[in-house]
Amino acid sequence: MCLGSPYCRRVEGNYSEALDLLPGVVSGLHAAGKRAFVATPAAPREADLHHVYRLVDAAAAAGADALEIHNMGVLRIVRTKGRRIPAHMGAYANVYTHLAAVVMRDAGAVRVRPNAEVPLEEMAILAREGGVEVEVLVHGKIPLGVTDRCFLLTESEETDPKCPSACRAVHWLTSRQWALKTVGKGVLSGRDMCLLEHLPRLVADGFRVFRVEGLYETAAYRSEIGAVYREALARAFDGGGYALDDRWADAVRRHAPRGLCNGYLFGTSGQTYVGTVLQDGNPEV
Amino acid sequence: MAELLASGGSMEMVRAAFDHGADAVYVGAAGWSRRRAQYEMDDAAIVEAQRYARSAGRILRVAFNTLPASSEVPLFLSRTDALYAAGVRDFILTDPGLMMALKNRHPDTILHASVGCTIINIQDALFYKEAGASQVVAECRMGRTTMRRIKAEAGVGLEVLVHATTCYTLLGRCTMSSYTKYGHRVDASGKDHFPGSPNRGGLCYRICLTGWDQVGEAGEIEASGVELPNRAYFLADDIPYLIDHGVDTIKIQGREYSVPLVSRMVRFYRDLIDACVRDRAGFRMDPWRERMARIVADRDAERREKTAGLIGEGLETT
Repeated sequence: MCLGSPYCRRVEGNYSEALDLLPGVVSGLHAAGKRAFVATPAAPREADLHHVYRLVDAAAAAGADALEIHNMGVLRIVRTKGRRIPAHMGAYANVYTHLAAVVMRDAGAVRVRPNAEVPLEEMAILAREGGVEVEVLVHGKIPLGVTDRCFLLTESEETDPKCPSACRAVHWLTSRQWALKTVGKGVLSGRDMCLLEHLPRLVADGFRVFRVEGLYETAAYRSEIGAVYREALARAFDGGGYALDDRWADAVRRHAPRGLCNGYLFGTSGQTYVGTVLQDGNPEV
Repeated sequence: MAELLASGGSMEMVRAAFDHGADAVYVGAAGWSRRRAQYEMDDAAIVEAQRYARSAGRILRVAFNTLPASSEVPLFLSRTDALYAAGVRDFILTDPGLMMALKNRHPDTILHASVGCTIINIQDALFYKEAGASQVVAECRMGRTTMRRIKAEAGVGLEVLVHATTCYTLLGRCTMSSYTKYGHRVDASGKDHFPGSPNRGGLCYRICLTGWDQVGEAGEIEASGVELPNRAYFLADDIPYLIDHGVDTIKIQGREYSVPLVSRMVRFYRDLIDACVRDRAGFRMDPWRERMARIVADRDAERREKTAGLIGEGLETT
């Protein structure tokens, strides 16, 4: 489980800010047999770096298993602090080539999540030549952009009464045939990435780290989609016949009001859905 | 004194930029820079531009600042080998792995970390310095405190864009365009131009600038026709500050604009910088504003037309 938000330091319930809560939540996850990762700010300005130093120390002291890092400066801070905690490079770290992965590995990264635009065959090269684990987003909103100015506020963060609650509500951006989701300082895909029907290929290709993105989603989304993928992955790893369960399809459709997509991984635009099983005549899908 | 760096989207623009006072000009290697193919140059044109720069005692920088596929790394190395053999030493890169590879191969190359690196704090600057960059481009909204720290403590050159755009998202960290439309066009060399991805191929459909409705969970319209802010800027008031604080390069972005407009921009900044340096104590901005306003108006007109075309192109089915 990845704790905290990389988008905004002010978001409510952000474990990356509430450093005194980290030991308890990390030990709770460990007691439940889970690993605990902690997100770091994706776009830390100079004024945020003091907090980043404290966050790195606090996560290491709490026994977190890794830090999720999007910014090269944050990676450098982890390295200069003696790599007390492993780094997982996040979606905004812009890992496109195995050579970049090697640079990040040498700075302390053990896992990379390639940029969303990197297709599966390139991910395989990253894993093989980069000497790092590769994390594949199998379900959830695709991160499309990050900024440090909140789109949902009309005044500054300090004075706008809508902060920090504005991003707790769902806000879509729609234009022509496009739909995006805004979370204030981040732009996410409108459609949900879905690789449910492609899991056997991912397993066969050697991928072993799969992410269900639950940021800015409901608890029901996280638990139901998470349960679907836990069951589906178990079946995919069994190696026998693999077919989508109707329950899985129902769950992913129910939680994807703007439809499903998976295009980047197959070399086309992100909003495209490549597959056969989940299309079934639904124009949104 | 700060170097004035201008854009070279064609051989004609390279000549015009130098002739109007640029100390250095950057061009994009075809298939490898953050602009579409029509504003890039093949190797023969780059070598010609390099000769022109050298004859004028100026510098030509070649941008290889897209983020390629791993399988394209050999292409990158062979292409940069060829340009190195032709005398090119100055390169602009984004991928830290490519920086290290090029620096290891040709230690006397001069590498600048591109605006695509999204350098927003001093630790970012130090990271790219360690990857081989001798100069870093400041992210477009970087504040003066960060600039001062980088200049004072990082031991790396600092480049500031005075004419560019502040994307809605952080430049270099946006895939909104390719989410809507993304293709593949492989050229004769084997390079994929990744049309639709500014990070990978340079062509952005600027979908942020179309009209958007903000819609709530139940489908209610919260705001209509909003743009996701993506504004072109033209800084002039900051020039004295940048000079005073030892910024190494003042950069004018704009390969996609017309040659006459780029020429006027370069001449404006050349004259402004020279006037400021000549009489720092007596320098005043007011006399420059009318000339600047005319340039900005013409720039905005060209940009509006290009943006409408790009959005329309993004809507076309392939």
